[in-house]
Amino acid sequence: MKVSLKWLNEYVDVPADTKALCDKLDLTGTGVEGVEVGGAGFSGVYTGQIVEKTAHPDSDHLWVTQVDVGDQNVDESGNPVPLQIVCGAQNFEAGDKVAVALVGAVLPGGFEIKKSKLRGQVSNGMNCSARELGLGDDHDGIMILDPGTPLGVDFAQYVGLSDRVLDLEITPNRPDCLSIEGMARELGAMYRIPVKDVCEGVELIEAGNPTADSVSVEIADSELCPRFTARVIRGVEVGPSPDWLAERVTASGARSINNVVDITNYVLYLLGQPLHAYDFDKVAGADGKAHIVVRAAREGEVLATLDGQERNLTPDMTLIATPESAIGLAGVMGGLDTEVSDQTTTILLEAATFSPGHTSRTSRNLGLFSEASMRSERQVDMQPIDRNIDFAAALIAQLCGGTVDVGLVDVWPVREQPMALQLRVARCAGMLGADIPQAEIEDILVRLGCDVKDAGDGVLDVVPPSFRPDLEREIDLYEEVLRLFGMENVPSTLPGGRERIGRRSWNEQVVARLHGTLRASGLSETQTYAFASPDDLANLRMDAVAEGEAVELINPLNAEQSVMRQSLIPNLLRSGAYNQNHGVGNIALYELGDVFHSAEGRKQPWEWAKLAGVLAGATDASWNLPSRAYDYVDGKGVVENIAGELGLTKLRFKALEANEAPFLQPGRGAQVLSGGAIVGWVGEVYPLAVAAFDAAPPVVAFELDVKALAKAASATRETSEISPYPAVSMDVAFVVDESVTHEKLMQTMQSAGGSLLASVQLFDVYRDQERLGEGKKSMAYALEYRAADHTLSGEEAEKAHSRLVKKVCGATKAEVRA
Amino acid sequence: MAIVDEIRELLASALADIAAAADTAALDAVRVAVVGKSGTLTGYLRSMGQVPADERAEVGKAVNAAREEVEAALEARKAVLASAELEAQIASDALDITLPGRAQQVGTRHLISRITDEIAEIFLGLGYTVASGTEVETDYYNFEALNTPADHPARGLQDTFYVVDRSGDVSAVRGESDVLLRTQTSGVQAHVMETQEPPIYIIAPGKVYRRDVADPSHLPQFNQVEGLVVDKGITFGDLKGTLEYFVRQMFGEDRRTRLRPHFFPFTEPSAEADISCGICGGVGCRFCKGTGWVEVLGCGMVDPNVFAYADIDPEVYSGFAFGMGVERIACLKYNVPDLRMLLEGDMRFLRQF
Repeated sequence: MKVSLKWLNEYVDVPADTKALCDKLDLTGTGVEGVEVGGAGFSGVYTGQIVEKTAHPDSDHLWVTQVDVGDQNVDESGNPVPLQIVCGAQNFEAGDKVAVALVGAVLPGGFEIKKSKLRGQVSNGMNCSARELGLGDDHDGIMILDPGTPLGVDFAQYVGLSDRVLDLEITPNRPDCLSIEGMARELGAMYRIPVKDVCEGVELIEAGNPTADSVSVEIADSELCPRFTARVIRGVEVGPSPDWLAERVTASGARSINNVVDITNYVLYLLGQPLHAYDFDKVAGADGKAHIVVRAAREGEVLATLDGQERNLTPDMTLIATPESAIGLAGVMGGLDTEVSDQTTTILLEAATFSPGHTSRTSRNLGLFSEASMRSERQVDMQPIDRNIDFAAALIAQLCGGTVDVGLVDVWPVREQPMALQLRVARCAGMLGADIPQAEIEDILVRLGCDVKDAGDGVLDVVPPSFRPDLEREIDLYEEVLRLFGMENVPSTLPGGRERIGRRSWNEQVVARLHGTLRASGLSETQTYAFASPDDLANLRMDAVAEGEAVELINPLNAEQSVMRQSLIPNLLRSGAYNQNHGVGNIALYELGDVFHSAEGRKQPWEWAKLAGVLAGATDASWNLPSRAYDYVDGKGVVENIAGELGLTKLRFKALEANEAPFLQPGRGAQVLSGGAIVGWVGEVYPLAVAAFDAAPPVVAFELDVKALAKAASATRETSEISPYPAVSMDVAFVVDESVTHEKLMQTMQSAGGSLLASVQLFDVYRDQERLGEGKKSMAYALEYRAADHTLSGEEAEKAHSRLVKKVCGATKAEVRA
Repeated sequence: MAIVDEIRELLASALADIAAAADTAALDAVRVAVVGKSGTLTGYLRSMGQVPADERAEVGKAVNAAREEVEAALEARKAVLASAELEAQIASDALDITLPGRAQQVGTRHLISRITDEIAEIFLGLGYTVASGTEVETDYYNFEALNTPADHPARGLQDTFYVVDRSGDVSAVRGESDVLLRTQTSGVQAHVMETQEPPIYIIAPGKVYRRDVADPSHLPQFNQVEGLVVDKGITFGDLKGTLEYFVRQMFGEDRRTRLRPHFFPFTEPSAEADISCGICGGVGCRFCKGTGWVEVLGCGMVDPNVFAYADIDPEVYSGFAFGMGVERIACLKYNVPDLRMLLEGDMRFLRQF
């Protein structure tokens, strides 16, 4: 909310130091988001005194003056030094006080004062005329100020032109602060200073017929509208607002429209009371009387609001209506057809309070937010509505001419009794953790407008003022006490609980180890959007094998982000493409995050964590290490590192067929299993799927289920003994058909090698059509034989090895390569 | 020539050869030739049987003496040569030690995770446990159980992403839904209080969503860390002390904290916490808009209504809660110029952390 300090100062003494005021507001809960300086059309103009006036040596009409501007121009030791200013005016004498625009000053029209020379004489500013400052038409000479004017004072501030407008963040619990009156009260409480009655000086004079003869009001449901008041002002002349009114309304952020509308806005800003002015003649029925009904809208009812929009209403919305038609959307905006125009002469003025909940939903349903709705949804104080409408009616009569009908139409079906609260002094001080004496608590509450009585036994009976709907419970009073006691005055402590142990859950431990392993494997963690495009899965060729249906957003930011992701891969591919487009040759990214899916009949979707990575391009080349392009086995290596770190048992990579994983390049993709349970997949993404995300293949990827990993991870390990006996190493190369897998050879060797086979390591895969034949490959293994209980002899090793070779050859039709 | 003289000559020539040996290999050749299995001096020992008996003692003594002398000379010469050779070896092995180390590709932690880890470590040290919740949440946990009913004005302050509710339920406000992307991690509070008996000391990091178009200072998806304490005798002073400790750990011992009263539906009293500006040290600069302070988190004492939703007696227990934006801390502490960089996956950015 915008608050003009100049306006506020009418009712409460606003401290001169704006910075200190802002700090104090911040520390008592009214956030200051900005300070605008406004009011005068110029800046950099200060009061000064002509101390010397001599004729310009080269001119017959110019004067060279020495002007004392107080602290605005000082020497090194801080003493004021007069400025030399060349001046063409003839109406002044040495000793006169004047308004001086210093170098850097900006005058109306954006005219900036610069240091200059006039016919050889230096001039450090300008002595100003009223017209030059936009303060009048007088251009006969410079302004001569009162002899008592102090020197070096900001001229705009001195003559009361300058204003500072604070942009305040009013929290939703403080509707009372959405007005100048409320802020005046707040300053009064903050600084313990008196606050004037903001309605003072405007007197209501009624004349003519009773208002009730012209207006009837019926409230269909008092829950929708607890209080509704109306007045009629006749003989009004709609026209421009006086300057002071336009200025205040503008400073508060509205546009000056005409005197009647400006007054309704003025009262809104001053008192926080939303008002609406109708053209009486457009509202009155055939009998010449306005029959106002406040009721729920009907399904399908339509109202054109002041902003020219046709609004489709629902029964949750409250209407101001006549028997013939709707004329206003309660608490939000008036109707277009009954608005005040230049021809209006009789005004029907409405001041009411409506259900905050209905107003809030109405605004949100229609996307229609106004200054009125903002106040209505936070609750308008129903107590002073009669005062508010009387003040507004009087002001209309005063500024627009006309007379106010006699009496107020005031329909107020249910009068709520003020709420009486109890505050336990010891509990309050105890919960705040500060030793606040009872007297101070009482003082704070009284300053805030509460009625406070000592009920004995350390209990206070407190009745909050009607303008504080947020003070409903004892705890709400604690907040007020703390706010004005000062949070800075509460001593800092740490909780002293006994049964407190900080620890990481198993899942967190697994996740932390996953992150560590992936970093150790050379991948960098990233985050991508959890939003996805509805096409993502189809583009990835994963749609046919995905689980469930996409989770759709009702109000996405754009179509490309209108569903929640079902896989981390699409956005990782986009990041891959981003890197490729920016010349990054080594892409190794991973992300751990949630994926989502839903199904018909389901409220909350399924959501669980996945770990995915992409590798594209090649490793960095180094002076002693050549670059190496990423391929399937890099991805597999990462998964194997994870398996090692988590102690996954019975790890298996099972080839994925094209129909099982259309998103992977056939022959370069595998399902990852541990102990028979699927934990995810690894492989090279199908080239067309990569291209669909504007990335260049090949891209190696993997996507693992974090919960499955956590479940398969071993919490404990067993140490295997390290044999003290030496091993015998043997190498063998098997020439086999391409279809014979490493896994098959390993299984055969391991079962044939028995307990003596300590380790098997693949060290070479070799293909040569001429030497090995078509469709053949040579797989070379380094084997180690070792006995657990003695040094293995060469003969024993040879025997075991030849048995192994024979079995492998038998099982896989392998030949041993010489 | 007497055998003894032969031995003496042999000794002299062996000593000369030893002295002349240029490297350990040559020296070893001398050793083999003189004292090896079939070396010249060894030959005398072997043929001792053919030496006349009366000379045997003298010859034996001479051979042994010569052998000792040769071996001593071999040893001495070997030490000299080995040391020289080692030095030569070392000299030739010298590298330009400013050459780059052998590349070991190690990945990096995402900045947001790194900060979240730091926060979690601080609170684990204070005895907190880490809790988590889902990102797609119901209206009940995100708003209602946090004392923010459907028509609460605070609803309008947070632009919420709503999710299609496939259960058939219809929302009171058009375009809204009972299912949504959580706008705050505070919902975890409600879940934890429902399932756990006090004392509760938890933090809950996680992704949250608000319907803001991405720009340098806004993201529709960002990260928060929520904290919740429920125990007997918890005071506002405890909240203040906890946050001050956190700020010093996170931002440095010299950083000050101030609390400003604020409003959150689920805490009462509520506050926002500022830390003294790291750029100007608190005197006021452009970064802190001249105030000397920058906002870092929201906090407050758990509202009794929130306790009521979880069946916790506010006359017995009290508590505090706080929530902070991780991206905000990234800006304050790491000077990230454009938040969108956090979601682009640019390797050149990620590898800086």
